[in-house]
Amino acid sequence: MKYDVVVVGSGPAGTVTARFAAEAGVNVLIIERRAEVGVPVLCGEGISRKIDEWNIIKGTRWMAGKMEGARIYSPDGTCVKLSAERAGNETGYVIYRDVFDQELARLAIEAGAELMTNTNATGLIKEKGRIRGIRAKHFDEEIEIEADIVVGADGVDSKIGKWAGIDTTLKPEDLETCCQYTFANVKNLDSYCDFYLGKEIAPGGYIWVFPKGKGIANVGIGILASLSEAGMAKKLLDNFISKDPRFKNAHPLRFLAGAVPVALPVETVRDNLILVGDAARHVDPITGGGLTHCLEVGKIAGEVIGKAVKEKNFSKEFLSEYETRWKEAIGKKMKRNYMVKEIMLDMDDKTFNMLADSLKDYKFDELSTFSLIKALVKKHPTLLMKLRPLMKVAKET
Amino acid sequence: MGKPKAKVDVSKCLACCGCISVCPRDAIYWEGGKAFVDKVKCISCAICIRTCPVGAISGEVY
Repeated sequence: MKYDVVVVGSGPAGTVTARFAAEAGVNVLIIERRAEVGVPVLCGEGISRKIDEWNIIKGTRWMAGKMEGARIYSPDGTCVKLSAERAGNETGYVIYRDVFDQELARLAIEAGAELMTNTNATGLIKEKGRIRGIRAKHFDEEIEIEADIVVGADGVDSKIGKWAGIDTTLKPEDLETCCQYTFANVKNLDSYCDFYLGKEIAPGGYIWVFPKGKGIANVGIGILASLSEAGMAKKLLDNFISKDPRFKNAHPLRFLAGAVPVALPVETVRDNLILVGDAARHVDPITGGGLTHCLEVGKIAGEVIGKAVKEKNFSKEFLSEYETRWKEAIGKKMKRNYMVKEIMLDMDDKTFNMLADSLKDYKFDELSTFSLIKALVKKHPTLLMKLRPLMKVAKET
Repeated sequence: MGKPKAKVDVSKCLACCGCISVCPRDAIYWEGGKAFVDKVKCISCAICIRTCPVGAISGEVY
């Protein structure tokens, strides 16, 4: 088998890359190790309204509900309400992630990309040190796929980067270990995505409750692997659900586990190789959200691949246009949010409670740094000291 | 008797791939929707055991 490009992984980053490359006339094959695109759903299923501006995915089949905003609960239960515009990457819409992924894959196939399921990459084909394609197992059959560019869209546990010499092993402090239920017959759901913070609730992470309509909710937890013990994520989530009256007569339709990189991005180009999405750590280190990044970064990757194939230039230098452009788009924000993540880890529950108490009546629509600081210190002057590292980051970036 | 090596209970594993992502020796691999440990490569660091969200990994002395 020979293609211009082989994309390993049929998640959003892989299929969007494939689609834009195919639209530029590139001969693309996507391989997926699982039996079905988009399944299992390893996701909280929230996405920002930014998606409306992008023209990458249309239709409503994948949409479970439009959110009015987010509520963030501090450890003592104080609630800070944010409108959808202010709530960042994770709210806006709640989606059916399996349908969403399959729609993106459909668009890639429609643009001319080919897709093979049940095909697990097992190694790179190299010739005199140069990447020439990948080896894979399709069901029981060993196959070789020649390609000028290999795209590693192979997720949090990416091997493609490692095989090319990029160290993608995550430190436990850079990984959120997660699990998630989809519950039916949940009471008192509205149009808000709820987040619960606290060292006892979800150390180094949060619990989420996202409504999907008809009394269905995606409820899950992410905790930092460095603060985790065996089976802790599930235990904490089960404990939360057992105490929340909304779930009294609810039962799960689905239980799944996932892992999310909350790290600084790695090197994303080599000769004949590109990394995208979770494999490249294109995830917001604070929220663990990555869907909008995948769409943004995949489009850039596809366009650069289009040019590379046209020019027959697959060198790291040529492909580095991709890295330059994704860094312009999301690099600065990712770096800043990584620093904020580190600072937040050092903050105790008391500080989060004070923060929430200061912000609960704050009108975020008038958001400016000065008015925000004024609101923060008005009630709790000691916050000024605690938040000093955060302000330093804000000033520097 | 050697140190305990990681072992995945495949009936509990949900293939979240957290363990594969944090293993410092690349000793865990994905096959057919489950994680498996290569016990020759495993260095008994137990990072995977603590990472597993559902407690599917434990130490076993071979």
